[in-house]
Amino acid sequence: MVSVITSFSRITILSFVLIFTAIDIFQMFEYKMSDSLNSILSTIQAVIVVVFLINGSVVLFISKNNVTIIGLLFLELMLFTGIVVALYKTATPISRALINNVLLFMSFGFLMLERLKLNTAVKQLGFTIASLIITLMAILIIKNVKHVSEHIYFYAGIGIVSLLLVSILGRVEYGARTSFAIMGIRIQPSEFVKLSFIFFIAAAICTYRDYRGFAIATIGSMLHVIVLVFSKDLGSALIFLGTYAFLIFIAYKNYIVMTLEFVLATIGGILAFKLFPHIQTRFIAWSDPLSVIDDKGYQISQSLFAIGTPGWLGTGLNNGMPNKIPIVTNDFIFAAIAEEMGNVVAVCLIIMFMCTVFILLMIAHETANNFYMLVVSGIGIIFAIQTILNIGGVIKFIPSTGVTLPFVSNGGSSMLSMMICLFIAECSGELANKNTRGTYER
Amino acid sequence: MKDKSKHKIIRKEIYIIAAFFALIFIAMIGYLINFVNKRSKEFIYNEYNSRFSVFADDVTRGNIYASDGTVIASTSKNEERKEYRVYPDGSLFCHAVGYVGKGMAGLEADYSFDLLKSNIPLEEQINNSLTGQKSPGDNLYTTLNYNVQKAAYDGLGSYDGAVIAIEPDTGKIIAMVSKPDYDPNNIAEEWEELTDESNKKSSLVNRATLGAYPPGSTFKIITSVAYLRFNGGSEEYSFNCRGSYKIGNYTIHCSGHKSHGKEDLKKAFSNSCNSAFANIGTTIDKKQFRETADSFLFNQELPTMLKSTRKSVFKVDQSSSDQQAGQTAIGQGETSVSPLHMCMIVSAIANNGTLMKPYLADRIESTKGEVISKTTPSAYGQLLSTDEVAKLQDYMSSVVSEGTAKKVDFGDLEVYGKTGTAEYTTNKNLTHSWFVGYSTDASGKKLAVAVIMESAGSGSKFAAPLAADVLKAYYE
Repeated sequence: MVSVITSFSRITILSFVLIFTAIDIFQMFEYKMSDSLNSILSTIQAVIVVVFLINGSVVLFISKNNVTIIGLLFLELMLFTGIVVALYKTATPISRALINNVLLFMSFGFLMLERLKLNTAVKQLGFTIASLIITLMAILIIKNVKHVSEHIYFYAGIGIVSLLLVSILGRVEYGARTSFAIMGIRIQPSEFVKLSFIFFIAAAICTYRDYRGFAIATIGSMLHVIVLVFSKDLGSALIFLGTYAFLIFIAYKNYIVMTLEFVLATIGGILAFKLFPHIQTRFIAWSDPLSVIDDKGYQISQSLFAIGTPGWLGTGLNNGMPNKIPIVTNDFIFAAIAEEMGNVVAVCLIIMFMCTVFILLMIAHETANNFYMLVVSGIGIIFAIQTILNIGGVIKFIPSTGVTLPFVSNGGSSMLSMMICLFIAECSGELANKNTRGTYER
Repeated sequence: MKDKSKHKIIRKEIYIIAAFFALIFIAMIGYLINFVNKRSKEFIYNEYNSRFSVFADDVTRGNIYASDGTVIASTSKNEERKEYRVYPDGSLFCHAVGYVGKGMAGLEADYSFDLLKSNIPLEEQINNSLTGQKSPGDNLYTTLNYNVQKAAYDGLGSYDGAVIAIEPDTGKIIAMVSKPDYDPNNIAEEWEELTDESNKKSSLVNRATLGAYPPGSTFKIITSVAYLRFNGGSEEYSFNCRGSYKIGNYTIHCSGHKSHGKEDLKKAFSNSCNSAFANIGTTIDKKQFRETADSFLFNQELPTMLKSTRKSVFKVDQSSSDQQAGQTAIGQGETSVSPLHMCMIVSAIANNGTLMKPYLADRIESTKGEVISKTTPSAYGQLLSTDEVAKLQDYMSSVVSEGTAKKVDFGDLEVYGKTGTAEYTTNKNLTHSWFVGYSTDASGKKLAVAVIMESAGSGSKFAAPLAADVLKAYYE
């Protein structure tokens, strides 16, 4: 009976995800959609989020025979309601599709964590609830700070100092120094520095709007990146570097600078490869994981076994062996989803992430205020690079760099910073009205 | 705030970035689809992947068939609805096809993944999983010919050894037998005995692919080519055999101490004259000897589509003594080969010098008869020139018409071969019996075969008649 339900749920879950993805794609290409049609589609997506979460939870409840899961489902639905209400209280959200996508990502994360490690899932839900509260406070602060777009050195300062502190005092995990433990809670400062970093670049550009802005942004960015490379946190270093390059491109429209930056980054990459043995081993683990399966290639090999063995439909929730992948709850959660929900769902998930990037960039495109245009662009860029690095690493498209999958992976810091990003993007119009003095108006 | 829009710094660049990311996302999707569809098949078949055991819950392991559709292996259920594997012909196919039970071996292991995949239509799969029924796994069709396999198996009788037959123009393995054997139906019951350290029989080992035998006189095929290459392609050679040949203090004898008298290369080959070939071994350049052996795939992985084979060993090089070279030239010394390797060499000769990679698995079909994957014959390359092929064919033909295999009844078949009698201990009365060769019928259909019968005696008396039976079974 249990196996019939899990098997059947593969099909229902797949159907929900397919409809959701189809709406995502449709909304992407249909610019001139009437508001009422748009509203109907978004409502369908919102319903799917709820039904998807309930369907998954019921399957897990039956197969694990643990009532905690129903309790968690209840809290998760409350949380989702809370997020939507909070967004509407802060401002009229710009994109309902963005909210729907984020909530679906969270549902994927919650379900997969409950399936993999119930304790972790309970903690993660706690962190997410706390994240919502902290986010509301953060938004309140941003709203009320005067001249948000002018505190260049403050943003750069807290970013670089936090990264420096963690690189000196932090714990070494999986070869990189990326986290503190404060009162038993592991905090990854680089997640928050992503935010201050975007604010820093946007502020530098908007304050000067000439070569000085470029110079300050460049020097500040390089300092961030150097500290990250020093901490061996290559994933974050790549995210910061990419965000810097793309934001400069948006602001200065300069193709030559853009090309030059890419050339320099490539040379830097080759140098890093030659200089650092740990990059070489990662490269080998990527190019031929089976040759080092006992050691560095173990994780990626297990990830590919998980993705490749069950095929398109997946094993059904709780029927696979995703726990064979080391730290599956953090960096490799995508492989667990592919294994149990199937690769059709996995492909849909990539499409949803792509659509989410588009939505963020579209919001940026429509933002009148230049500072928030750059901030939301930065959020979109970070979201895109992080997703590509994570999923690409899991499926062996690129070498694994150890970054989390936004809104899905386990990790409180990542969840909090992403939640703040969501709120800033959705409420950017309102925030812009409240607290920036258009630099060009002076 | 409308007035601000006039001051927009930029906009178009955001689209460029969106397009850039879209490209990467799409490439990533393509990569994932390609991995799941194609590349994963090879990748996931790994001992570190513990997921296979779970498959059996949803899919009934598919059947394995001989090329004519005879069932070699199938799945049955006992009264408690527990599945088990049935091999209707017992040990007939045991080494080629392997077993499931105590782990897996042979094709059962190599194609386990395919046998446990069901390629019936998706709606039927969904229907089956909803009703709690297992879907039927795909079936594997081998290249093995039931009748030829049976002739080889029966012919080998109670001797230890191996028989392997290959279709030269495709590389299809038509028969593959190794003895001592075991009954895969009872693998669990017999496991203790089969794997007992004190049991020297090693019945689980497939001697056809993994055996390490001294090639004996069958190696004279390679020595002949080495001489032709040393002699600039000319077969000009003359030797007066007095029944033995001295290299320093070491004497090599002809079989039965027979004096063959005056011989050219062809005559020495068909007589399998040890003295003449020992003389050749000491004459030719040792480096070139080594290069010739290496060109015949010694000291390297054999190019096959099989999962496990054994490297053959050839040790002579510039630093070797004349005695070593002389011994090696007649297939003694430290040289060792597998029957598969000898059969590949002969099948290259039969196929005008081109070696086709041997394979056992012809195709995977769904239970609906849809072909899921099919092995396409693939050439490894040219092992020897057409000129060398022509000369060897002449020599190998004379072995059957007037040489050591003259008395063997090959029926109407045109046969090219070489017998071998290989010493494997210091006791010269204990010898392995070899025959390697190929046949063609009037239509030009060819089959290459290699036979080794351990401790049987001379090649012409034991291995050659068995090879004749195997070849004849193929054309019936």
